[in-house]
Amino acid sequence: MTDTLRRLMHTPQGVLGCALLVGLVLACLFGGAAAPYQPEAMDFAGRFAAPGIKHWLGADQLGRDVLSRLLVGARSTIPLAVAATFSGAAAGACVGTLSAYLGGWWDEAITRTIDAVMAVPHLLLALILVSTLGKGSLNAAFAIAISVVPSMARVTRSVALAVRQQEYIKAAIARGESGSWIVLREMLPNVAAPVIIEATIRVAFAVMLFATLSFLGLGAQPPASEWGLMVSEARRFMHQAPWVIVAPSLAIAATAICFNLLGDGLRDALNPRDER
Amino acid sequence: MSIAWLLRRLLTVLYTLLVVSIVVFGLTQLLPADAAVTLLGENATPEALAAVRLRLGLNDPAWLQYWHWLSGLLRGDFGTSMRTDQPVGPTMFIALSRSLLLGGLSIAVMLVAAIPLGMLAALRRGKAADVVSSLISYLGVSLPEFVTATLLLIVVADQFQLLPATGYVAPSENLVDSIRHLILPVATVSLILVAHVSRMVRSETIDVLNSDYIRAARLKGLPPRIVLMRHVLRNALLPTITIVALDVGYLLGGIIVVEEIFAIPGIGRQLIVAITTRDLPSIQAGAMIMAGTYAIANTLADMAYAMIDKRIRYD
Amino acid sequence: MSPALEIRDYVLDYVTRGGTQRVLQSIDLAISAGEVVGLVGESGSGKTSLAWAIMRSLPANAREAPAGRIRLGDTDLRAASAKALETIRGRRMSMVFQDPSTALNPTLTIGRQVTEVLVRHRGLSEREAWREAIRALEHVDLRHPEALMRRYPHQASGGEKQRIGIATAFACRPELIVFDEPTTALDVMTGARILELFGRLRQETGVAALYISHDLALVSRVADRVAILQQGAIVEAAPSATIFRHPRHDYTRRLVAAVPRPEQRLVSDQVADDGLLTATNIAVRYQRKRLFRTAPRPATANIAIDVRRGEILGVVGESGSGKSSIARALTGLADYTGSIALAGRRIGSAGDMDRAYRRAVQIVFQHPDSSLNPRQTVADILSRPLRLYGGDVSTIPSLLEEVRLPAAYARRYPHQLSGGEKQRVAIARAFAAKPDLIICDEITAPLDVSVQASVVELLLRLRAANGTAYMFITHDLNLVQQVAHRIAVMRNGEIVDLLGIDDLRSGNVHPYTRELIAASPAPVG
Repeated sequence: MTDTLRRLMHTPQGVLGCALLVGLVLACLFGGAAAPYQPEAMDFAGRFAAPGIKHWLGADQLGRDVLSRLLVGARSTIPLAVAATFSGAAAGACVGTLSAYLGGWWDEAITRTIDAVMAVPHLLLALILVSTLGKGSLNAAFAIAISVVPSMARVTRSVALAVRQQEYIKAAIARGESGSWIVLREMLPNVAAPVIIEATIRVAFAVMLFATLSFLGLGAQPPASEWGLMVSEARRFMHQAPWVIVAPSLAIAATAICFNLLGDGLRDALNPRDER
Repeated sequence: MSIAWLLRRLLTVLYTLLVVSIVVFGLTQLLPADAAVTLLGENATPEALAAVRLRLGLNDPAWLQYWHWLSGLLRGDFGTSMRTDQPVGPTMFIALSRSLLLGGLSIAVMLVAAIPLGMLAALRRGKAADVVSSLISYLGVSLPEFVTATLLLIVVADQFQLLPATGYVAPSENLVDSIRHLILPVATVSLILVAHVSRMVRSETIDVLNSDYIRAARLKGLPPRIVLMRHVLRNALLPTITIVALDVGYLLGGIIVVEEIFAIPGIGRQLIVAITTRDLPSIQAGAMIMAGTYAIANTLADMAYAMIDKRIRYD
Repeated sequence: MSPALEIRDYVLDYVTRGGTQRVLQSIDLAISAGEVVGLVGESGSGKTSLAWAIMRSLPANAREAPAGRIRLGDTDLRAASAKALETIRGRRMSMVFQDPSTALNPTLTIGRQVTEVLVRHRGLSEREAWREAIRALEHVDLRHPEALMRRYPHQASGGEKQRIGIATAFACRPELIVFDEPTTALDVMTGARILELFGRLRQETGVAALYISHDLALVSRVADRVAILQQGAIVEAAPSATIFRHPRHDYTRRLVAAVPRPEQRLVSDQVADDGLLTATNIAVRYQRKRLFRTAPRPATANIAIDVRRGEILGVVGESGSGKSSIARALTGLADYTGSIALAGRRIGSAGDMDRAYRRAVQIVFQHPDSSLNPRQTVADILSRPLRLYGGDVSTIPSLLEEVRLPAAYARRYPHQLSGGEKQRVAIARAFAAKPDLIICDEITAPLDVSVQASVVELLLRLRAANGTAYMFITHDLNLVQQVAHRIAVMRNGEIVDLLGIDDLRSGNVHPYTRELIAASPAPVG
């Protein structure tokens, strides 16, 4: 673990990604405490205030401080997306590994079905689920988790298949090792690394998808200060106060960039051959 | 290309459409414990609930409901909208044509921009042009469509008043106006696509440039222009086709959002309206049509790839 | 008359993240017109880098010392501009690559890739170039050249592709051709025919050539003079007639000693006719019949093979002969029909292979890179068979010692070991079970010849200590004649010959076996 961290720090992507991640985690944990104002505190006199001393990032159409809403909104935007991705990835990884291990007819059937489910684009699938389950952050997160499963299953399967071709797996079979031993002790450590990398990059998509759902009114509901929701609410007033849109947009971008960088950095760090 | 190969492709597409229909129908009609309550809300009167149940056939067993819907689809009957009481099919397909226009233009722009950008970045690997374009495409894939769209709206339509903010004009009505209204939506959708595809093209081209056969071509004394045009281009573009096929999925997601923001009456917008008004038949039809389009586009790309890549044997 | 190629005092470094690495030191090499000079070196010796340096195709992190000189005839190659090089390459000097499958562009027809050199350098029109290309392909003994020109590389065999590469290299009558291990990626017989072709073309055209290879025996048959490259420096250069018989430098002597000579037996004992493993009617089938596809041919026909207690059974054949399939069937890695009997006990199918069988029959694989789990330490890898078969984990250090590896290696990961060391760990893993039979599936093929010699020596020493039998699968007929008591020759899934070593020498063999022996001649000297 520490070894991986050390190697991650050797890559520029890893350093930048970790720095951003630390910032985001701090915002999630201490955002509420650090915010100068209450996120719901309205101030009709100070509506549409431009960024300045009083409001560092300006104020929105109800006079609420954008910076405070941003900091508190981290908690609404990020943790659910991360949780959704990792639970979806875990489920997808199990399906993918199983399919690769079983091989033969089972593998073909599962793969064809996964491919077919993937014919429904992520946003569409999430929309359908939310339309059935109802609006709200939790439902949106659940929808995202479900939409992550097929693509992660496919990635895991192709990695698992490549690992299965390796001769050390054949050596284990020739030794008469049990199926569960081969999957858990021989395959999994080699499959885990690429899957973790892929999952990290998916978090970026999940954050964007979550923000999009909230933007469409189907994810987080007002008065939450989820970033996508902030953009959606501010759209009507973009003429008077464009900064209200820019700040959460940059925050979303920063989060997505953070996880993309981490994924890239992990790609180098988790590769056992790249010891210099 | 053998008949068996075509047959297998056909079966795959049909299987895909079948699974998609099950997913769509299952999630919208069968998943909720009581679809009627989901549609009308908790406070609806028992009479209203019963009426809806009757109208949508919710009292039938699950497989029968599915069968009614599926057989309707196969006949071309997509049901009747609960909101407008009009048949859903025609509305949806007209909307689809507008979305296809938007999507088609976006893909065209993407191809024209992404491929040269990606190849250039690969050729100038490590130099300033490459780093800058890498940064820009990194940003491109990290911005959701609604962010890009909104920012473009602010800058172009609002602050500088260069283009109309929202709305749609059919090309048949007024070509120039139509184009003016389409520029921002197409730009938004293609931005993410260009960012994504150019990165892929770049990495494919780098792989090709490092390959043995490119080195062999150079060592035959062929000038760089011929090496690039004759040898590199084909091999770098081949995998791009599959990536474009995958990106149709991004495209569809992006279209939903972009149509909503720019008020374009395409199928994405219809879907959002259907979801917000809880118009079940429209939701089902819209989802089915979008997913079906994606499945067919994917298969076409798959076939195009197989036809062009001589390495795949048609057995 | 100036030599065709002259290299003086050439020094090359590569700049990497870990520092600057000297790859070639003070290379002095000259090739006269019409002469073939062989360059022999093991992996990491820098021989390929020298080829790139001559063709001026070095990677971006290469740094050449300013003093060194490379001249092609009267032309200073180092001073040549990029434009000038475009006219030199393909016309005055060309190259034949090691792997014909990757040297041809998969998306262009074969014809296109041959004609483009002719159009470029000989100024022919497309039509003239097409006719000329067909003539060139005929000249390298390719049948139906017109049809071949229209095909894509994946539709031609390895041997055909290499002939095409040679035809392309010769097409513009260059002064110098660099051959980079042209037969390494090919089968023994195909490779032998390519060498014949090379000899004939050389006689006809009188071209000067640099023939690079790791195989000293092969090079000394092909070249007029041989230079030995060790870690970037030429340690000896001599006429090929003498270099084998009278090697002067230590390294050359080691290389010469490591080359397998069939007449030098390394195993001198006799083996009793005590059957250990008998397999009858074995047919290995890899794929089941799938929907819409025809059933594939079985990998082996019904064959019978047996191994006696303590003997070394050699199994030779080309790729596709089925020799690896036998290994997989005997270890339960492939489905088979037929029966196996181990010390009298009958094994009906892979399901019958219980712990006792698996302990008794072990296998070592060909690729050291993929036969060890990259995420397990050497200790983890070795402890597994010990735990399964009732050994003691504390014996790991002595296991490592037996394969001549330091005990400290137990904590290392596979990527920290060299190819030869990895193979030793794989051997130690097989011996940890104290088996009766070890199947060695082409374990020395990817190794350098000196490493191969040490691995073979290790195997023989372990056999002497433990009395283990080996099924030694290889394509190297010379090597197998050194160590085997009996030899099985396979072709297309059938065993064409199964003889004792003396019978093989007597010449009373299947015609295919005779061809095989002719294709791998004993080294001169």
